[in-house]
Amino acid sequence: MTKIKRRTFVGLAAASTTALSMPSIAFGALPRVVVIGGGAGGATAAKYIAKDSKGAIDVTLVEASKRYYTCFFSNLYLGDFRTYGSIGHNYYGLAVNHGVNMVHEWALSVNNAAKKVNLGSGESISYDKLVISPGIDLKFESVNGYSAEAQSKMPHAWKSGTQVQLLKNQVKGMKKGGTFVMVPPPNPYRCPPGPYERVSMIAHQFKKSNPTAKIVILDPKNKFSKQGLFMEGWQKHYPGMIEWINAETHGGIKKINAATMEFETDLDTFKADAASVVPAQRAGRIAMNAGVNKGDWCPIVPASMQAQADENIYVLGDASIAKSMPKSGFSANSQAKVAANHIRGSLTGSKVFTPRFANTCWSLVATNDGIKVGANYKATGEKIDKTSGFISKTGEDSNLRKATYEESIGWYSGITSDMFS
Amino acid sequence: MKSKLVLLSIVFSLIFTNSIFADQKQLVGADADYGEHLFGECVTCHNSTGLGKGIPKITGMKTNQFITKILAYKSKEKENAVMQMVAERLGEEEINSLALYLSKLK
Ligand SMILES: Cc1cc2nc3c(=O)[nH]c(=O)nc-3n(C[C@H](O)[C@H](O)[C@H](O)COP(=O)(O)OP(=O)(O)OC[C@H]3O[C@@H](n4cnc5c(N)ncnc54)[C@H](O)[C@@H]3O)c2cc1C
Ligand code: HEC
Repeated sequence: MTKIKRRTFVGLAAASTTALSMPSIAFGALPRVVVIGGGAGGATAAKYIAKDSKGAIDVTLVEASKRYYTCFFSNLYLGDFRTYGSIGHNYYGLAVNHGVNMVHEWALSVNNAAKKVNLGSGESISYDKLVISPGIDLKFESVNGYSAEAQSKMPHAWKSGTQVQLLKNQVKGMKKGGTFVMVPPPNPYRCPPGPYERVSMIAHQFKKSNPTAKIVILDPKNKFSKQGLFMEGWQKHYPGMIEWINAETHGGIKKINAATMEFETDLDTFKADAASVVPAQRAGRIAMNAGVNKGDWCPIVPASMQAQADENIYVLGDASIAKSMPKSGFSANSQAKVAANHIRGSLTGSKVFTPRFANTCWSLVATNDGIKVGANYKATGEKIDKTSGFISKTGEDSNLRKATYEESIGWYSGITSDMFS
Repeated sequence: MKSKLVLLSIVFSLIFTNSIFADQKQLVGADADYGEHLFGECVTCHNSTGLGKGIPKITGMKTNQFITKILAYKSKEKENAVMQMVAERLGEEEINSLALYLSKLK
């Protein structure tokens, strides 16, 4: 009852102040934004639209889970630098502090013409603008022999949830002197340095409790993000433990067998005692359903993050083709603010500022040895173009590396409070 | 009549700038709304509640101090790759708008 009263009141206030500039908004009826996906992109977008519009826009966030476990810092959990609980977040702040209407359900389909989202429960919700930030789906079939069934033997742990707990358990329980096989994904994928940070954190575990263990990386690529920095760190902290074999050398992963834990390549057949396989990826299914994809990902208008296929839909984060930004939580958060400002402008006539994008990705190589890469971006007609950037250097002194690690802790606290409180 | 009003408003704005916001009279082109919008970029790292460790709190900083620090990163006199990159694309209007907005936060 109180809620209805507040809504009515806000509606009247909004109508009276915006009546002159926005005559199209009906008296008392607030423009409505629906956001699908409460991750780095969606939670940020929902919060900023609600916060900045100060009640003039009705915001609904459709998120399947009641708790969001960040993929970022899940590698630090593998290395015992974080607890699992510390990477979990809820939607209390969005609902209570910003009045976001939380709907914990799956969005099943989008009716673009009627501007409706159909939910798993059979209900549907109307929108004036729809934001889609569903993250990724895995293309299991991209690795011959890998599947949703095989994921418990060789966890991908590339989406939020219990997979990473399972992986940690398997790493800790691996036999002494055994071999861990890591299969990173082909480009493009979420978090380019992620697989190599994962290897670092698993090596860190082995160094403590299983020092004769080996890690073999069977990479479908011939180079990877922050390669020089990771290689230097592995040499320094885990000498002789990690072997990176690129595609040119192994000739491609022909087949894997989750029952025998074997990886067949042209070079050799590798037998693992524990493994992590991260297959190729594509935009979350709901994006395909809304028809805003072109192949595996969704083309967007760089200046606003609107889907090229539907101007009433915005696609954020991993699901979008936000070239040249990497698929990261930081990027998704940055894109969400650009979209939020644009949506608010188009619904309430508020000022739309020149879009500014940024990204920084920190990785932890070993205790107090952090590295980072970052860039600023601006929208051009065709893409989100890099304007400047930096990357940590090899041979940096240990104080700088420690400060870099501490920065990443500050960033984690910053971005998660930016998303959820 | 009209000129009187204009005069009055100039007098008012002078009093306003000199006494209440003496610290901010140099904030050329500052716009608090723009500052608030730009601040969104900062809180990905600088916890807006000021509770985070590892990255310093920037809310509650004095205007002059804030500007001096940003300029030190911009000129690369102060080392820090991320802040140098952040400061690099802040022009005078952006810095002053942020300063104005930050001074209005508690
Ligand atoms: C191991 C690892 C380490 C990483 N480290 C970093 C890092 O250090 N820094 C960094 O910036 N990024 C990092 N990332 C990347 C980061 O996690 C992603 O880029 C980011 O989460 C993308 O945000 P998003 O909004 O696109 O998707 P997500 O954050 O995945 O959010 C999508 C949400 O949508 C929900 N959803 C999907 N479909 C539906 C539907 N139909 N109905 C209802 N809900 C739905 C899901 O439940 C999910 O909560 C890392 C990723 C991994 C895997
Ligand atoms: C990518 C993360 C990141 C972003 C984004 C960021 N900062 Fe920073 N900021 C830092 C770090 C790390 C430091 C500490 C640097 C150092 O040790 O000198 C810092 C330091 C500062 C300082 C100096 C604080 C002090 O007490 O010395 C100011 C002022 C500042 N930032 C302002 C901003 C503003 C304004 C923005 C947004 C326009 C911003 N920062 C965006 C990471 C960030």
